[in-house]
Amino acid sequence: MKLPKPLQVGRRSVQLAVIALTVLIPVAARYANYLSARQLDDAIERFDGSVQGHSLALVDGALRLATGAESGDVELRGDEREAVILAARNVRGSTWSLELFGLTLTDPLAALESAFASRTARRVMFVGILIPLLGTILLGRVFCSWICPAGFLLEITGFLRRVLRFLELRPGRVRLWHGNNYLLLGLGLGLSAVVGLPILGYVYPPALVGREVHNGITVMFDRAEDGLVGFSAAGLTVTSWFLLAIVLVEVAFGSRIWCRSLCPGGGLFTALGAFRLVRVKRDDKSCTQCGECVVACEMGLSPMLDRTGVECDNCGKCVANCSDDALAFRMVGSERRARKEAVR
Amino acid sequence: MIARGDGRPDRRALLLAGGRGALRLSVAAGALYVVGTAIRRGALARPLEESATGVLRPPGALDEPEFLAACIRCNLCAEACDTGCIRLFGPAEGRHTGTPFIVAEERACNLCLACTEVCPSGSLFPVEDASLVRMGTALVDERLCVSLNGTGVCGACHTACPLKNEAITQGNRNAPTVHEDACVGCGLCEEACIVHDRKAIRVVSGRSFA
Repeated sequence: MKLPKPLQVGRRSVQLAVIALTVLIPVAARYANYLSARQLDDAIERFDGSVQGHSLALVDGALRLATGAESGDVELRGDEREAVILAARNVRGSTWSLELFGLTLTDPLAALESAFASRTARRVMFVGILIPLLGTILLGRVFCSWICPAGFLLEITGFLRRVLRFLELRPGRVRLWHGNNYLLLGLGLGLSAVVGLPILGYVYPPALVGREVHNGITVMFDRAEDGLVGFSAAGLTVTSWFLLAIVLVEVAFGSRIWCRSLCPGGGLFTALGAFRLVRVKRDDKSCTQCGECVVACEMGLSPMLDRTGVECDNCGKCVANCSDDALAFRMVGSERRARKEAVR
Repeated sequence: MIARGDGRPDRRALLLAGGRGALRLSVAAGALYVVGTAIRRGALARPLEESATGVLRPPGALDEPEFLAACIRCNLCAEACDTGCIRLFGPAEGRHTGTPFIVAEERACNLCLACTEVCPSGSLFPVEDASLVRMGTALVDERLCVSLNGTGVCGACHTACPLKNEAITQGNRNAPTVHEDACVGCGLCEEACIVHDRKAIRVVSGRSFA
């Protein structure tokens, strides 16, 4: 049993944090509404013992801790109240567009399709996409492997496919044309411009997950206000079925087939990260061609044969699974520099 | 693929392939246009189920077609909203899905303008001062208003109005008069109106949601 590599631990932690935030942000927004309207104590009392009550109490405790307000079942003082409301709104949005302590981070795809649909480039957009854009150009499609909530969901498909294989129901291995992402991205942007609506946001999972969770939580609290406390699936929409369909298609037809060949955002990030500086590199001397990395790679690439082209999302699974320590993340150009050093 | 064998390109084949490519591209562009127009005129053009008179867009919203094109449906305005008045359209609302709206009768905007500051797409344009917001205009129904139809003395709308004596002035028996040039359309009057079932003062956005 090998210990998990720190990078993989970090990646999983970030993914879990993103999922937790996706759920907690709408709850915190609702909490701030109640607190602002001085209805929080009333709400907590009325929703007591239900999902809504527990989630409000959780957010309450966390924010009191974060702002240094007196914890427990005491009313917040005026200044504490202000501080807690501010803190509750420090992080808002979703993976589609996030505001983090005043810093806006927008998915470049959002800016692109909005610009196409409205046929106008707005300055605010460029401010928001700056950091994601730079990150993708330097590190590649790390959004897909570290942040995308759907990517996290779809990594479960690898496990489900193993289960299928164990049951001797061989899952399919469909491989679509590698340029498919670009084609769908182009089609979506063209369609957005023709229709005058941002179309891609209706099929792009990182946009859908945030919207679906926000909608579900809003409906749950609305129902609680009408006396229907407790968990409810009433807020789940056709979006959930769509996400489930993607999972099922990936399980049945091919590992990460959505991310690799269908996702428009995947196409955009692949194109942006084509000249990324950090890549998985193989050391020919220590590699024994065991093939562990090929099995580990969910994108269906072969690091063993140095086939980690543009599609690679730098998830590092191959590096973590390499039994010969032959694979590692390296800066592009470091090898050439090393060779030059050696010659000298 | 074309004459890869000896490394020299076969010009005739290249020309043919180019022609085929151009043909395919134009067919694809034509199909895209047809599909796009069909979507615009068909499924997504469905009018809203809720009566459009009760629906407002948040402060600073661009004109309706532009707003629908620019808004990225990201939840940020709803999560920044102080009162929680900003709601998002559900998935059954076609092209409006995920866009923000306000039903002032249920909960009105208190003009904190946090939504215009947070909007990452520029579809909610930053407004310098709350008095410059134009979400709609309040209209008074003389038959329903208790101060106007002679059944009582109220004045709730005037009390709630953030632009008291500018947007709403009071007359005999606290009867309200709305001044269109000053009214921002926040809907606080509509929320406060004591007449139930159908409010005596309602904000109309003048937007076409159809």
